[in-house]
Amino acid sequence: MPQTSNAQESYMRFPVIHRFLHLVVMLGFIGLAITGFSLKFSSQGWAKAVVLILGGAGRTASVHKTLAVVTYLCVVAHILWLIYYKAILKGQLTGPQSMFPRVKDLRDLIDHIKYFFGKGPLPKFERFTYLEKFDYLALLFGMNTMGMTGMVLWSPEFFTRVLPGYFINLAQILHVYEAMMAVALKFVVHTFSTHLRPENFPIDKSIFNGRMSKERMIRDHAGEWERIGQTSTTPSSD
Amino acid sequence: MSRLALFLLITWILTLLFSSPQRSYGALSTAEGDTWFIDMSRFSKSAHGSLSCELCHGDMKENGEAHPDLKDRSKLRKNAVDLYDYSKCKVCHRQSYARYLLGEHAKALKKSRFNKEAGKSGIRRAPTCGDCHDAHYERSHLTRVEIGAKMTEVCGLCHLSQKRTYLNDFHGRRAVNLGYEAAAYCSDCHGAHECISLKDKAKALAVCQRCHRKAGLKFTEYVVHPIVKKPKNEEKDKQRRVSIIKTVGSIMAVLVIFVVVFFYGHNFLWLLRELHEKLRKH
Repeated sequence: MPQTSNAQESYMRFPVIHRFLHLVVMLGFIGLAITGFSLKFSSQGWAKAVVLILGGAGRTASVHKTLAVVTYLCVVAHILWLIYYKAILKGQLTGPQSMFPRVKDLRDLIDHIKYFFGKGPLPKFERFTYLEKFDYLALLFGMNTMGMTGMVLWSPEFFTRVLPGYFINLAQILHVYEAMMAVALKFVVHTFSTHLRPENFPIDKSIFNGRMSKERMIRDHAGEWERIGQTSTTPSSD
Repeated sequence: MSRLALFLLITWILTLLFSSPQRSYGALSTAEGDTWFIDMSRFSKSAHGSLSCELCHGDMKENGEAHPDLKDRSKLRKNAVDLYDYSKCKVCHRQSYARYLLGEHAKALKKSRFNKEAGKSGIRRAPTCGDCHDAHYERSHLTRVEIGAKMTEVCGLCHLSQKRTYLNDFHGRRAVNLGYEAAAYCSDCHGAHECISLKDKAKALAVCQRCHRKAGLKFTEYVVHPIVKKPKNEEKDKQRRVSIIKTVGSIMAVLVIFVVVFFYGHNFLWLLRELHEKLRKH
């Protein structure tokens, strides 16, 4: 292929800690979805099959709780890393290279939709597109709310010493609706926008091997590409 | 001639096929289709299968009336369960019977004795033994899970919305749908024969604490059966909780639908655009 030399020229996009945490969260999330929905939609045949394989509703709940702890530990690890990144590595948690939302994200969204209709060019995305930021922040925020409602459901006796009893009902509702939203977004929207869309089909390996080709950098992260080009003599902010 | 014979033969066979034995004894079936006949092969396999008929039906009297009342045949049109004197059950099932008398069903039955409307079509009288238990065909030695699943159906015959909400609840989903022994069935909270109401918090707490040992009084405010009652002034506190629960549920449903529709639409347009870009190049 003529583009071999180009394709080999790749850029480090995700350091190993992010790749590792993504992998654990991904597997944990899938496991949580399967066990959680089996307990929720227990009248369905597939749910009964999953519970049968796992050895009963009690075991399924235990697996769910274990996975929840493992997945939440990834959030803790990530937050610790953010502190380390800011305090020791003197990195920036805001700005164009970060996950922090900016006004440009809203402009990018509008421009991107214009692009869908053929009314404009592909916006020059920074290091993280608005959709990637949404995926990340929704997960970071959602893991905490899922964790909180999950803990109320884990030990309702303890929490109802302070909270009224119907908060258990509310926790159930919030937990299940948020789970459905998360699954609907991660299993379909996230999977499609990173892997399955025609440009990336069938898989975008960058989250697993950390590398992104120059070709894709120029197309999907034009803003960052220009920034790297301009500041190639100064040390990168991360 | 042979054609006529064949026609008659076929007609005769069809008549035999479509006339079940029950129909020929139509006079002994009630309006609801319950029959007075007992299937002995099923009876002999039931929990009472080893008992003789006389043990329960010995005096041939039901509520003071002699059984084969040749003058009044309309009796056989009535439901057997309505006529039987279930106080006879206490001869063997003393504890269950005593508990039944303490409970809500017995109280409701006492009330309905004075209510002449009860028993007429459409208006249910409170249940006695025979409404929940089948004296002739009930099987014994069922597992806890089997009994629980059956109980949910039996209680649900009258308590429709309670059955529905229970099966949506954490307890019902595990106990009935997933056959999880440790989860609570109807009688684990309401009692098997007492069938008590748990509107009183102190009563409810004692019940919750059977499984949730560390539960406090606030724990009992958990709503197992979120049912919207028609007269809203009844159980005001519970109705307030139910309305909060329903409102939060509706808000969450709208939020989820909104977010999902937005992103699915977004991605669908994206798919069309990228497909278009790919196809244009080829």
